[in-house]
Amino acid sequence: MDIELSAEDLAFRDEVRAFFKENAYKPGKDYAEWRLDWFKKAREKGGWDVPKWPKEFGGPGWSPTQHYIWEQETARATLPWDMPFGVGMVAPIIMGYGNEEQQERFLPDIRARTVNWCQGYSEPGAGSDLASLKTKAVLSEDGSHYVVNGQKIWTTAAHIADWMFCLTRTDDSGKKQEGITFLLIPMDQEGIEVKPIITLGGNHTVNTVYLTDVKVPVENRIGEEGKGWTYAKGLLQHERTGLAGLSRSLVALEGLKENARSVPRGNGDLMDEPSFRAKVAELEIDLLAAEYTELRSLASAQAGAAPGPESSILKLKGTEIQQRIQKLTMEAAGPFAAAWGDKPAGPKFAKGGTGGYLASRAYTIYGGASEVQKDVIAKNVLGIKRSSR
Amino acid sequence: MNFELSDEQKLIGESVERFIQDNYDLESRRKLADQEPGFSKDHWATMAELGWLALPFAEEHGGFGGNQIDAMVVMEQFGRGLVLEPYLASVVMGGGAVKRGASAALAGEIVPGIVDGSRQLTLACTEPQSRFDLHDVTTTAKASGDEFVINGHKSMVLHAATATQIVVSARTSGGQIDRDGISLFLVDADAAGISRQDFPTVDGLRASEIDFKDVKVDASRLLGEVDKGYEILTAVANDTVLALSAEAVGIMEKLYKNTVEYTQERVQFDHPLAEFQVLQHRMVDMFVEYEQCKSLLYRATLETTQGDPETAQRTVHALKHLVGKSGIFIAENAVQLHGGMGMTEELAVGHYFKRMLVIDSQFGNADYHLEKFAA
Repeated sequence: MDIELSAEDLAFRDEVRAFFKENAYKPGKDYAEWRLDWFKKAREKGGWDVPKWPKEFGGPGWSPTQHYIWEQETARATLPWDMPFGVGMVAPIIMGYGNEEQQERFLPDIRARTVNWCQGYSEPGAGSDLASLKTKAVLSEDGSHYVVNGQKIWTTAAHIADWMFCLTRTDDSGKKQEGITFLLIPMDQEGIEVKPIITLGGNHTVNTVYLTDVKVPVENRIGEEGKGWTYAKGLLQHERTGLAGLSRSLVALEGLKENARSVPRGNGDLMDEPSFRAKVAELEIDLLAAEYTELRSLASAQAGAAPGPESSILKLKGTEIQQRIQKLTMEAAGPFAAAWGDKPAGPKFAKGGTGGYLASRAYTIYGGASEVQKDVIAKNVLGIKRSSR
Repeated sequence: MNFELSDEQKLIGESVERFIQDNYDLESRRKLADQEPGFSKDHWATMAELGWLALPFAEEHGGFGGNQIDAMVVMEQFGRGLVLEPYLASVVMGGGAVKRGASAALAGEIVPGIVDGSRQLTLACTEPQSRFDLHDVTTTAKASGDEFVINGHKSMVLHAATATQIVVSARTSGGQIDRDGISLFLVDADAAGISRQDFPTVDGLRASEIDFKDVKVDASRLLGEVDKGYEILTAVANDTVLALSAEAVGIMEKLYKNTVEYTQERVQFDHPLAEFQVLQHRMVDMFVEYEQCKSLLYRATLETTQGDPETAQRTVHALKHLVGKSGIFIAENAVQLHGGMGMTEELAVGHYFKRMLVIDSQFGNADYHLEKFAA
């Protein structure tokens, strides 16, 4: 066991830092143009635009340590806006289970960030129990396309997406995990209607998507009909690892401390108050441990194997940590936590503090609720046979 | 020993409950909260008509001579309905300071207006740096002949945009955090030198930042003695904490009950969620915390009306701590157990949650009162 970074790793870290610094956004620049250019330059570095992609698809083939360094550095730098649905989520499925033609058709645009994706999984009746989904896809008589009918919900970014990867039911005669088919659907297709859902933070990020007689060419099916659940399950593991956000939390914790220090209390500041300081310390301790849980899981996945059940631990712990940071930020605002919107007073950080806390309550709900993560750990890690309830 | 409400109190409770059933469905509340002034003037008139605005005031001024138990009955129902009208600000806070500190002449002038709803009061006692310490006051009031001149800034003043009078805490002597040297003044909201910035709060209510620049107030509008305002302020704060806590208990009841109801309807994995033992236990925890808060609410309220003031003060701290801690525990879990639906503006849980957060941020959060209790 060894925690020292090697000379090569240190050199890599410096290279990453230099790249971020060199290509940082400069005020006045056209953001959209800069964004696409940033990814192009990252690509020229040898796959830095798609760090987690396998080498044969253009990824950098980094060691776990290099991935860790990248995560650390990205949390501190301001990277261009990017959503996980394309590069992080649908791309691994297309690589793993799509045919060559599909890989050629979809991966380049995903990689260039010129196309936005959304995830059509949850339905009103299928949340934690995702496999009970009912959106129906019926193959046309001539076998050329599916006709899709149903409703998806909590679809993040559906209102700005060009494509949706979608779980549909093609067979309901057997076990519910069977008979699910993975389709790629263009959002401008006739019969798709997107309606916003306003969440507690007052934001519009999620939507309801109604699909009425939407025609999807059979070429847009990934893998075999009825095998979509198997493909999606692998992806869920990817999603969960990404949701832990530990590097970002480390940076956010620093921000929290700084903010608390800016709140005067008597001769000192809020960090001098024992109860507040203790809560920040407890948070930091959990974060120190979680960071090593992540490193251990990274190291064990060295061979490039898919993330295992330990990703559930990370999602569980990581999202809880994010929520606690938001909660303490809200508490630090004191009486100003009650103010909403563009308020004229209170500490600067309090702006959005309560909105951020409210939004953070979803972290333990989406991507597999904490209760579901615990079921996964009980079953797959502890080996406990599931009781009927 | 008797935890039964009096017949009169039961009648008030039932009348508030009926009012909420008839007027406070979620959709109507959202409409009111979304447009100015953020509540219904008609509801306000109804509250005056039904005598709720009169509860704590002396009979000679048109009041009912009620106590904190009466306020508790009203506020618990207000919590269940998420009522928007400025009852707390006008009757409990501003009115509470007038009740305790106004001369007979001033009370005779002001209280009948509070009671009939034509006057609406509020209390300005928070400053940018004060956090929850009511004795941290930098706003000054300087005597000048028969007047005082007020200068300073007050933060998060509830419902100031619609208030007719504002009770302001200001320093007449002493250093920034001295308990002595604070005086309370009843200032007309439209007095020269007052400028406001109004904004909504997280729960859909309204608040303002207020600047006082050379605001002149007649010495007859002093509440209590000069330099001795902190005592009144503390008493008003205690009443406010009791009222907020009663409201919170009403909210907690709705949160746990809505969650039990929802999990019995929502089917996942071929079973209603409520059949999963882990969720049952969570809901039992929510229920237990609610009952504990209710017990402490009774204890603090009864001790305040009948007990030794020092003991009562300590229990009030205990109450606000528990209400903040358990209220947010219950609210967070209500949202968690409602899943994605709990995160939307469509269901009541989210709105109860937001009000719970605001209650914790007012007159001392859970941490603040824990330290006061332990001190």
